[in-house]
Amino acid sequence: MEDLWSAVLRMGAVWLALVFVLIVLPSALGISLGISEAYMWALVKTLEWATIRIEKGNQRPPPQKPKSPAPNGIIERDKTPMEQEIARLRQTDFEFSDIFYFCRKGFEAIVEDEVTQRFSSEELVSWNLLTRTNVNFHYISLRLSVLWGLGVLVRYCLLLPLRFTLASIGVTSMIVGTTLVGQLPNSRLKNYLSEVVHLTCSRILVRALSGTIHYHNKENRPQKGGICVANHTSPIDAIILTNDGCYAMVGQVHGGLMGVIQRATVKACPHVWFERSEMKDRHLVTKRLREHVADKSKLPILIFPEGTCINNTSVMMFKKGSFEIGGTIYPVAIKYDPQFGDAFWNSSKYNIVSYLLRIMTSWAIVCNVWYMPPMVREEGEDAVQFANRVRSAIARQGGLTELPWDGGLKRAKVKDTFKEEQQKNYSKMLVKRGSVG
Amino acid sequence: LGCPLELTPHHLSASPTVTSEQIEHLHRRFKQLSRDQLTIRKENFDSIPDLEFNPIRGKIVHAFFDKRNLRQESEGLADEINFEDFLTIMSYFRPIEMNMDEEQLDRFRKEKLKFLFHMYDSDHDGKITLQEYRNVVEELLSGNPHLEKESARSIADGAMMEAASICVGQMGPDQVYEGITFEDFLKMWQGIDIETKMHVRFLTMETIAHCY
Repeated sequence: MEDLWSAVLRMGAVWLALVFVLIVLPSALGISLGISEAYMWALVKTLEWATIRIEKGNQRPPPQKPKSPAPNGIIERDKTPMEQEIARLRQTDFEFSDIFYFCRKGFEAIVEDEVTQRFSSEELVSWNLLTRTNVNFHYISLRLSVLWGLGVLVRYCLLLPLRFTLASIGVTSMIVGTTLVGQLPNSRLKNYLSEVVHLTCSRILVRALSGTIHYHNKENRPQKGGICVANHTSPIDAIILTNDGCYAMVGQVHGGLMGVIQRATVKACPHVWFERSEMKDRHLVTKRLREHVADKSKLPILIFPEGTCINNTSVMMFKKGSFEIGGTIYPVAIKYDPQFGDAFWNSSKYNIVSYLLRIMTSWAIVCNVWYMPPMVREEGEDAVQFANRVRSAIARQGGLTELPWDGGLKRAKVKDTFKEEQQKNYSKMLVKRGSVG
Repeated sequence: LGCPLELTPHHLSASPTVTSEQIEHLHRRFKQLSRDQLTIRKENFDSIPDLEFNPIRGKIVHAFFDKRNLRQESEGLADEINFEDFLTIMSYFRPIEMNMDEEQLDRFRKEKLKFLFHMYDSDHDGKITLQEYRNVVEELLSGNPHLEKESARSIADGAMMEAASICVGQMGPDQVYEGITFEDFLKMWQGIDIETKMHVRFLTMETIAHCY
């Protein structure tokens, strides 16, 4: 019995030592040993093989073509504007024909609407050997199933414990490190150490997710005294960005583990955490952020203006509050590759714990981050127009579509002001004809 | 994981363009709308933001529950519909196929027009009366608060008179035009190509571009 115990303890010690040497130390020093790259290479090869097998299997009857996703919809939408289409339909003076147009639009909306689509995960081109994405794929061959079984084993028995260990190490060192640094008096040394701690812990956490991140245009990285703005897909977005630079986070104070982290980090670095009651007062929020931005020695603040997680195929309305603060905006576009793991957090379907579990049992998180040249509000541009301009730039860079909708529609209904627009348009047309005819 | 469809909607099986994957898409959409229940009620349509814009939203939703459209023998409105009913209504918006013959095309067209007719004829008596027509026009104009009820009325009246002149020809001074029957309705639409306008077409694989 004792031998067994000592054997287990020794294995545990070896395990921790390996983790420390191979992962934690390189993170601290900012170098890479190439283990992630090797893993990704093996993964890509395996998935390619799986894809070929699936396509071969699908070649049986012609209608069974390999399924392609339609990130922008499954039905063909006629984009002609209302006036043109109604004019075409109207052969006579009847309003009967107008019903066609609205009927069809109504049906299109019922079959598929642009908004709800964005709050569910993107569909994949070919199966990536995860059951959770197996919506369209059926049993193909024994070899594929064996591979899938192996995949489950690898993911749950090898990767999950590893990632969990790393995540715990990362979070613990963040709390301990920032508390220690927070004891120092304010000085350049403190700032430097705070940056080191934050960067190291971010790197460990990214490795905990098997994250492979490609940063583009690093020369446009956000500078001090600026505001960094990005599209929001998941809570991991913050870690992805802090992996490559230091930011002052903005957010609400939470309870539990998150609250502990927040309280610890704010001692080392001037993050901006708001109480729930303060969040309701927009002026207070804007004032505090403005003070932060005005101080040019402070780190750039990180804001996600969509306000909620979207599924990374589109960018929804940016709330104008972030754009009223002033200062320089550094837009950043983040695009995840869904082939290796779905990063989108569907908060109405999964809570944070099951979300983290899903992330840690995916193959990897692969994403591209584009830093874009800074933008400032121009003369005569109001906050909303500026927000839309920044949003278009981000959407174009990341290859995402733009939607004028509010992310809040995940939970609420359409505002009446939106409805009236379309109805006014139509009735204007009708009255004109009615008075002539 | 596929849809639990033991039943194949018989009227759909004649149409090869509604493929099983389209049915799967629609099934997923149905589950989304019904929030994983087996049936949909009128309230479930409230969760579609794109539909809010539509002035005849009420009539469209109503059409889903109209028993005449559901090909049921009884009259009136159903309280809830299941997936088969959903598909039945969707089948009114099938696009035309290339290989249809005259008779099929004619039946196709009649079906679509009948669907529209039911939208107008809200009291299910087989006739579109002046009042019913006025209701429709008012609904179409409901968004604009500046429009007088009188203008909506006069538009409806004018259109109704035109309909009468097409269907009945010159009316005597004491003749009363009761309402538009389905035959009259068909007459109005003679020669006008509605089949290509009243459909929802699913995207096929080749037309989708990959953005990778």
